[in-house]
Amino acid sequence: MKRDLLDILACPMCKGDLTLEVFEEDEREIIAGKLCCKNCEECYSIEEGIPNMLPPDLRD
Amino acid sequence: MKEHDIKKVVRENYGRVAKQSGSCCGSSCCGQTSGPLIAEYASRPREVGLEVGYTEEEMQSVPSGSNLGLGCGNPTALASIKEGETVLDLGSGAGFDCFLAANKVGPKGKVIGVDMTPEMTEKARANATKAGYKNVEFRQGELERLPVDDGTIDLIISNCVINLVPDKEKAFQEAFRVLRPGGRLMVSDMVLLKELPKAIRESIDAYVGCIAGAELKGRYLEAIKSAGFKSVSVIDESVVTLDYLASDPIGQVILKHMKGTGIQPNEADRLVASVKVRGIKPT
Repeated sequence: MKRDLLDILACPMCKGDLTLEVFEEDEREIIAGKLCCKNCEECYSIEEGIPNMLPPDLRD
Repeated sequence: MKEHDIKKVVRENYGRVAKQSGSCCGSSCCGQTSGPLIAEYASRPREVGLEVGYTEEEMQSVPSGSNLGLGCGNPTALASIKEGETVLDLGSGAGFDCFLAANKVGPKGKVIGVDMTPEMTEKARANATKAGYKNVEFRQGELERLPVDDGTIDLIISNCVINLVPDKEKAFQEAFRVLRPGGRLMVSDMVLLKELPKAIRESIDAYVGCIAGAELKGRYLEAIKSAGFKSVSVIDESVVTLDYLASDPIGQVILKHMKGTGIQPNEADRLVASVKVRGIKPT
């Protein structure tokens, strides 16, 4: 996930803005990290470059 | 079947197709484990691609393995995509339409694919990396609860996916929300032309194969209009006739299934159609 796409992302539950915590990043993009909603505080993980923005009830 | 169960089955089936199509050995191996209908499509992506409106050039311009043969139209062809635009693909699969859109928006534009199946987003990302695409991103997400900010998208495309969504009204409301004023919606999808026989409606194979979850055409268009879209119009429609079904490998699977449940073949005549629908979010 590229940093500039954070502008477009929103929490799927409440549409709040997200904060980004980076665990791993290369020259192109964020490989692992966590996105948390500033509003409802739900968090979403970024794994292998893909943010998992599924609502909590749909995660495995 | 409950909404949550439908989503689970859809994810499992499409997840299997995503995994198998990359390493598939031939035309029949997919059929062993996944739903027979989508396995039929996925076993011959090139033929399905040509049939539903992609050109040979388009199919060669994207990473191999991104066309899974699961579409029912070519929404990127009719959307008049401009350079620099931000495009969102609802149900992006292995990324086929995203890559076609990415070629059109160029380096200043971006394309975001959302799909709820992890195997699909992984495959799509691998395809993007392999081919060096820098303007395409994929994320896992649900169409009824899009992880996208309000008013940020110029164009939404979707290809044969919304029929799989249990709450279509919500999906179109979300599409409307994330579009900027003046933004466009261009969807290809399967719709019903008459009520489905009960046995087909209750078949999970028919659901996963884009039929049992399909909405009546009138209601489908109404869901788009009630979300707020203007200038909603069907710009293309192909009605699936019994003759077509009988001559098509996928159709034969459907007819075989119907025979097994005691439904007369003529009930399948002009039962479904693939449509391309356009709408605009007013400014």
